[in-house]
Amino acid sequence: MDIFANIITPQTLDALIKFGINVAIIIIKIAVVLGIGLLHVAYATYFERKVIGHMQVRLGPMRVGPHGLLQPIADGIKLFFKEDIIPAEADKPVFYLAPVIFMAASMINLAVIPFSSNFVIANINVGLLFIFAIAGLGVYGIFISGWASNSKYAFLGGLRSSAQVISYEIAIGLSLVGVMIKAGSLNLTDIVNAQEASRYGMYAIPQIVAFVVFTIAAVAETNRTPFDLPEAESELVAGYFVEYSGFRFALFFLGEYIAMFIMASLAAVCFLGGWTLPWYVTKALPFLTYVPGIVWFLLKVYAFIFFYYWIRATVPRYRYDQLMAIGWKILIPIALANILVTGLVKILV
Amino acid sequence: MTAKELVKKVFFIEILKGMSLTLRRMFSHAVTIQYPTERRHIAPGFRGEHALAKNPEGKAKCVGCGLCATICPSQCIHIFREKGQVTRYEIEVLRCIYCGFCMEVCPYGAVVLTENYEYSDYKKENLYLIKDRLLSNWDKYMGRKKGEVYFRKFWRPMSEDFETPSGQAGFKGKRS
Repeated sequence: MDIFANIITPQTLDALIKFGINVAIIIIKIAVVLGIGLLHVAYATYFERKVIGHMQVRLGPMRVGPHGLLQPIADGIKLFFKEDIIPAEADKPVFYLAPVIFMAASMINLAVIPFSSNFVIANINVGLLFIFAIAGLGVYGIFISGWASNSKYAFLGGLRSSAQVISYEIAIGLSLVGVMIKAGSLNLTDIVNAQEASRYGMYAIPQIVAFVVFTIAAVAETNRTPFDLPEAESELVAGYFVEYSGFRFALFFLGEYIAMFIMASLAAVCFLGGWTLPWYVTKALPFLTYVPGIVWFLLKVYAFIFFYYWIRATVPRYRYDQLMAIGWKILIPIALANILVTGLVKILV
Repeated sequence: MTAKELVKKVFFIEILKGMSLTLRRMFSHAVTIQYPTERRHIAPGFRGEHALAKNPEGKAKCVGCGLCATICPSQCIHIFREKGQVTRYEIEVLRCIYCGFCMEVCPYGAVVLTENYEYSDYKKENLYLIKDRLLSNWDKYMGRKKGEVYFRKFWRPMSEDFETPSGQAGFKGKRS
């Protein structure tokens, strides 16, 4: 101990232990979020198949387990044991890298999402910007995979996807500027707290225009129907990940669903009040305050995800020029006008 | 663009209509029949696997006139006769289109389609129905009373009810 005492004073040791405990807590939090998040993603696929099935007057998965409840697990096992095929002409290192980038880019966002009033892995002050930045990185995964597969379908899918994601990122960013102006912060926890204190309890009401723009752009951003041109089955087979199989395909699949969850949580946090309920609801039904905040958060997220599925079951795919026209000629001007009005209201009122 | 069209576009009226339809369908009853555990109701007279009818003595009603083989649009019935006896009566089921012409044309109601539709097989040979199999199909699916009832209801030959005018060439054979 004497030797150590010369190097480390008790104060530094104390600080080190505190640091170690903090790191351990963060690691546990990450494990919890990843574990539960992946479980949610697995069952989101089941939920999707059930919802779309019933909307098409079918039953959806029914065979594995009661009402097909074990279907996602069976799918996972199947994907895990599939042969990993790599095209002979593929650019191998890049081909290996792409799904990892895509998956990681969507998973990192889970770090800044506030699930409950005091449960967020990294409560950083630029949370919203962080999500945009990482979403921008995710595009690399997509077009790298399209390039590295050395297949025309994958290449076209990758091109379309990068064009689409980049254009709609502008709309999504601009639509959230209104929220930033109203909340006066980029920190997601602060945004939720500001919403709870605001007159309507959630920004979806005063920022309805931004909310609609965000919803449309979020569907396009995650490459879902009706904006699923990058993976248009009837034209491009599966788009940028045609050549992927087995677990690499599963990584893309997971990444796509996690991105959906991220967008849904972003909608819940920025527009629907996150884990809080509007004051008029709790005033009318006071017993609801005893329900933990995570329940409301998950309810809002799943409502938004249900909306994704609902749209997918209803609307056919847009043409490519229509997609670009909606993004550049309608959503971006509307979002800009919304920023102007919100700013004026903020200054004048 | 009129004001009405503008309102329609801004509030996504058409898309909302479609979405309300899908939502309503979500709560309607699914039409799926989960096959091995549930089965579709088979209406009487369903045209399924073939059989050769037997008369009360247990002999095949077929006399080998060849009308069925002639009318068959996919020409999947093959009949071979020797000395007035039907030696082979074969149906290539894989080519059959289940039009039911054979049983309509048969003057004795001898070739019939039973209600069995679950006879898929891994071997092509098993789907080439020979006379023995066709006769045993009769016992399996049309045995006892059922065959008689169906004969009256579905396979009754035209010649039972309508005689050919005496001056006209037609079937004048003896009915068994």
